[in-house]
Formats: sequence, C-alpha cells, structure tokens
Amino acid sequence: MSDLGKWRGLTALVVDAVTAGSTAVERIQKETAARPFAILEQIEPIAPASRVVHTIHDVSVGGVHGIIRVVARGVGTAIEVGLGLAEARQHTRSPTDP
Amino acid sequence: MGRRLDETLAVLNGVVGDHLARTGNELVTRMSFAHEGRALTPEDVVRTTPPVSHRAVVLVHGLMSTESIWAFPDGTDYGSQLARDLGVTPFYVRYNSGLPVADNGLALAHLLDELIAACAASSSGPLEEMTLLGYSMGGLVVRSACHEAAAGKAGFLRLVRRALYVGTPHLGAPYERLGRVVSAVLRAVNDPVTRLIADIADLRSAGLQDLGDADIRHEDRKRRSPALRLSDWQHPVPLLPQIDHYLVAGSLSSEPWLADLFGDALVPVPSALAADAGGLRLDHVRVLEGRSHVALAHDPEVYVQLCAWVGGP
Repeated sequence: MSDLGKWRGLTALVVDAVTAGSTAVERIQKETAARPFAILEQIEPIAPASRVVHTIHDVSVGGVHGIIRVVARGVGTAIEVGLGLAEARQHTRSPTDP
Repeated sequence: MGRRLDETLAVLNGVVGDHLARTGNELVTRMSFAHEGRALTPEDVVRTTPPVSHRAVVLVHGLMSTESIWAFPDGTDYGSQLARDLGVTPFYVRYNSGLPVADNGLALAHLLDELIAACAASSSGPLEEMTLLGYSMGGLVVRSACHEAAAGKAGFLRLVRRALYVGTPHLGAPYERLGRVVSAVLRAVNDPVTRLIADIADLRSAGLQDLGDADIRHEDRKRRSPALRLSDWQHPVPLLPQIDHYLVAGSLSSEPWLADLFGDALVPVPSALAADAGGLRLDHVRVLEGRSHVALAHDPEVYVQLCAWVGGP
C-alpha cells in the first residue's frame, strides 16, 4: 500500500464517518423533537401552527445535515483529486529527477 | 511502512475491517505472508526466506494485531525459536481480522495452497510437513481453513500433521456475547440516544462478532440471532479428526471457578480447551496460570510447550 493510498483510504474513512455521524445525529434530533411536537399537535387550538413549526424544524435540521454531508463529500473529492494529481506527478517524474 | 503504523492499521481493520473491505478502502489489510514488516506473496516469501526447510510452521495472529504480537522483547518469536531449535521454517500470516472468520479461513486455505506450490517450484523443494499455529482468533481462522480443506476447497491439509492453538476461544468469548446483549437491550429502549449507542456498538466488525460463538462457517453465523444468551452452546464444528490438536490456555487465577469464568481475562479456560471437543489427550492440553491473554503470544513457558509438541513424534 502506497503512502498516497493510505491518505486516500483515510480520507474516505473520515468522509464515511462524517456522513454516517451526521445522518445519525439528524435522526436523533428529529426523533427527540418529535415528542414535544406530538403533544403540541394534540392540542386543538395550536395544532395547525405546531405542525407547521414541526415541518419547518425537520426541514431545517435535514438541510443543515444535508449541507454537512455535501461539504464532507466535496472536501473528500477535492482531496482525492489532489492525491490523484500528486500520484500522477510521481509517476511521470523520471528516476533521475531530484 | 513503520511497525507502529502497521499495528494501528491492524486495530482499525479489527474494528471496522469488514466496512473497509466492503467500501474498497485502501486502508484494508489483504491476507498475505509478512516478512520483516512487509506483506509478501507466497512466491516472494519463499524467495525471501532462505533456506526453506521441508517442515514449515505457519503462525496466524489474532484480532486487531499483526505478526508483531509474537515478538519477545529480544526480537525473537515462537517462529524464529522453532527455526533455531527444530529447523522448521516459519511463515507469518497477516490478515484483516475484521472480516468474518469464515472469509479469512477460506483465504488462508488458498494462501497455504499457494505456499505449497511456491515451495515446490522453488530450489528448496517441496514442503513435506506443515504445522499450523494460531493465537486467539488466529486459531479459529486455522480451524476454518482446515474445515474448508476438509470440504475439498483446498489441498493443503494433506501436509498438516498438527494444529496448535494458543488462547483460542473455541467455544466463544463471553465479553462479545455480553456486548451483544447490552446492544440489544439499548436498542429495545424507546429512546433515540440509546438506539444511537446501540448503533455505534453494532458497528464492530463481523470478525469481532464471530468471536462471540466462535463462528468459523458462514452457516454458524446464522444461529447467532435472535437468541440472546450469555452461556455457550456446544460448537457445531468439531476439531478435525485427521490432524492432532494441541491447545494452550491461560488463566490469571489458580482458582478453578475463576479460571472457568474469566480465564486469561478474555477467553475462559473451558473455551480455550474446547471443552466440548472430547477425545483430546491430556498431554495435548496445557493450562498456564498467571498468564493474561496477550502474554500468551510471547511467553517462554508457552514456547517450551510448543517446542515439545512440534518436536514430538
């Protein structure tokens, strides 16, 4: 395994961890918030407003975590490209180069 | 690659090695022979390890470790000491201990076939005898490989006279079964946080989970759920009758009930001695008191016993 291969593997592992961690935290935040919202949505006068707030909450939580995952994948891809370029440069360099 | 980095990667592979393999991650360890810290093919290891004698001993490490687990402080190990004292050639296997034991067993079976072919094609000539030595999970991988060979999927078994197991949980490891129960209890609680903790606990690798019941075949893994239990079942795969088996167990305590419960701190003595195997000769088993699990991999008294068994008739 080359050094660049190890960096590539580490990058992929970190992206996997951030993605899985963000998905898990998003689920917890939504499930935790669902409990008080479930009670509020049973109270007739405020039920419609509660449902709207609940939806806004879930969408915003999902949005924030979605951005985290997209950024993580983007950074991972950028590092991949950088490592690929470094590898290509290593291969094209002649053995006599310093 | 530095030894420290190798050991770090071995831990990573032990914890999430199945995920690394599934996702094609380049940090994954592929099964190979290892010589002076380098992973080698069977052809390369035969070329690099002159002179190869006609008797080989194959050392298979345990969970989350590399061949460095065998090292004594003076740099020797069971393999090099057996080479010095008995003239056998040691071969050290390195593998991804996070994969299912059955996968590693099949890979080991093929690797041993390739080793036999590489020796036969080399100037040193064919191997005539092979001894398998497994430490901890490595013993289960050895058993799995022998099982695959006995089922006709590999041919190396004809050269194997004996298998030696050091601290191998033949009947499973209770801490893994305890972890399984705790995870199930946490998952049963209707709370997102406890479920998250259970999810994190269940990220542990397939290889680690196989240790709970010493599952050496894929079909054995199916009997794992949904039953939750802290006690052993009898292992459904017996020790192969066509080879001799020698077992070393460690015990932190001389009290029999403590040895039965805790053994070397990770593997209870009845599990390390395959207590349900039956028919094992008394001189094929050895219990060493005052030894922790890790210490068994590089212990002078264990070596004396291994040497006597390998050098015996």
